[in-house]
Amino acid sequence: MILKTKQLSKSFGGLKAINKVDFELPKNEIRGIIGPNGSGKSTFFNLVSGIYDSDPGSYIEFDGHDITFAPPHEIATYGLSRTFQLLRLYQDMTVIDNVMSGYHTRVPYKFFDAVIGRKKIWDQERAIKEEMMELLSFVGLADYAELNASELSGGQRRLLVLARAIAMKPKLLMLDEPAAGLSPVNVDNLMKIIMQLKEKYGLTLIIIEHILKVVMDTCNSVTVFDHGQKIAEGTPAQVKDDNAVIEAYLGKKMDDEEMRKALAV
Amino acid sequence: MEKFKSIIRDYPFIAFIIAFIILAFVPSVVFTDVYQSHLATLIFVNIVVAAGLNIVKGYCGQVTVGHVGLFAVGSYTAGTLFLYLGLGFWATLPIAIIVTAFFGVAMGIPSFRLEGPYLALATLGGGEAIRLFIENGNFFRSTFGISDIPTPSLMGYNFDSPDRYYFISMTIMIIAVYFSFSILRSGVGRAFMSIREDPICAAAAGINVKKYKILAFILSAMFAGAAGAVYAHMPPGYIHPNNYTVIEMVTFLAMVVLGGLGHIWGGIIGAIVITIVYDLTRPLYKYQLLIFGLTIVLTILFMPKGLGGFIDRYFLEKRFKKKTGTEKTT
Repeated sequence: MILKTKQLSKSFGGLKAINKVDFELPKNEIRGIIGPNGSGKSTFFNLVSGIYDSDPGSYIEFDGHDITFAPPHEIATYGLSRTFQLLRLYQDMTVIDNVMSGYHTRVPYKFFDAVIGRKKIWDQERAIKEEMMELLSFVGLADYAELNASELSGGQRRLLVLARAIAMKPKLLMLDEPAAGLSPVNVDNLMKIIMQLKEKYGLTLIIIEHILKVVMDTCNSVTVFDHGQKIAEGTPAQVKDDNAVIEAYLGKKMDDEEMRKALAV
Repeated sequence: MEKFKSIIRDYPFIAFIIAFIILAFVPSVVFTDVYQSHLATLIFVNIVVAAGLNIVKGYCGQVTVGHVGLFAVGSYTAGTLFLYLGLGFWATLPIAIIVTAFFGVAMGIPSFRLEGPYLALATLGGGEAIRLFIENGNFFRSTFGISDIPTPSLMGYNFDSPDRYYFISMTIMIIAVYFSFSILRSGVGRAFMSIREDPICAAAAGINVKKYKILAFILSAMFAGAAGAVYAHMPPGYIHPNNYTVIEMVTFLAMVVLGGLGHIWGGIIGAIVITIVYDLTRPLYKYQLLIFGLTIVLTILFMPKGLGGFIDRYFLEKRFKKKTGTEKTT
């Protein structure tokens, strides 16, 4: 198990955004998380990556480390990387700087070496830059390396955020709606790149996605959230036929034919 | 030429040694009177302050308006150390840097909770508090100022006139700029920039936001401390609380903004231009604040990345065009 949560809870005032979620994720799995808006998917990500503090009684374990109370930067050093729903691109930095800043946890030299400006620093910086340029050409942004991130198109931004998250060579990559706002062609392209990256770096993936086709096609297993609770878990086929899921999404039970129609958007 | 370039790339300090040698000949070749040496020293002091301010404001994005207070701490540490202990430049400079670093920590702590204009207000209060504390303390000779602070001497050679002191200020400036370059070009500079752009995302990428914020404040405070000490020992050897008011702060800000916030050359270009303009407009002293205020507003409106960004943009567009054959106009 690379990620494990027990009785994970988070409330904002009286609202229970996440309510006693037990979640287990084996290595090398692609897990999809689906659920209606406001069901707690993004909150779950924020809790795991340490951006929110979880309520008392919760327990989160990542790769053998207890990260319940760890700050986000410490969790990142254990090898957990994530993207954000609203991208959070470094707008005023160049594309290559964006990606290189994702490399932070792997920077090999110490601060004082950098102050003195020793030769080995510049050698290592060049090596980092080369590696990151390779990553950029892998996702197809090498030509734009020196431009500001704010000058990229929507689709390119999604790719850049992905590259930035990969730069730290994470063990677990959490993608928050990676394909939101993309055209169907671009979605296919993005998913292809994500799958290639998974193979290349041996990642474990968690993907939040509203495009059900993507989830059903690529994920090994799916977890469904509703009102802060885990209402179903299993293979895509199992989840598809789960009554609780259908109710959460469509409001009432339907027979098979109707449901298939509605899901095959 | 290629070989020379690669040597510079591996050992950047060689470029700084060359700059040192060139600058060392400037007084005897270019300058016609002592006043120009004095002006050059002022430029160098301002470069050091602006380079430091660029770290915390331009790179780390923490809006501090109390930097002049740190500059004052540097000056008055040097001044009081001379006044009560009779220490000379070589002792007061490092002590001033260390003391100012501690004040930098104090100035940086509010940045954990405040940002943007609120942080500006807090640091403005900090800077003014330091000035008022000095102005009203007998220990610091209050409004009389500290006078006759001695100029440094090295191996029997006394740098006692502006054209001699030029070499001291120039050396400190070159060292400071070298440090700022190597810090900002390394991963540390990148971490600062990511905090400026998005602290939450920076934290998720493994950057310890609080640590780097404080680090930025400490580094810039050390620059301000060094500049303050150099300023205190400058030939008339006189410091007065009136030299550390909000007006000076506005000039420092104008330097960084005009040169280019977050541009590695930003503070340096800005310090040179603004100090010269400041000197030329001395007869119009009534309108100086107006001029610098307008400079800040107009630069932000029409050249948000300052002179440095403007020049960069030009070359970048040329290169992009060459590479892809297309126009990129944004």
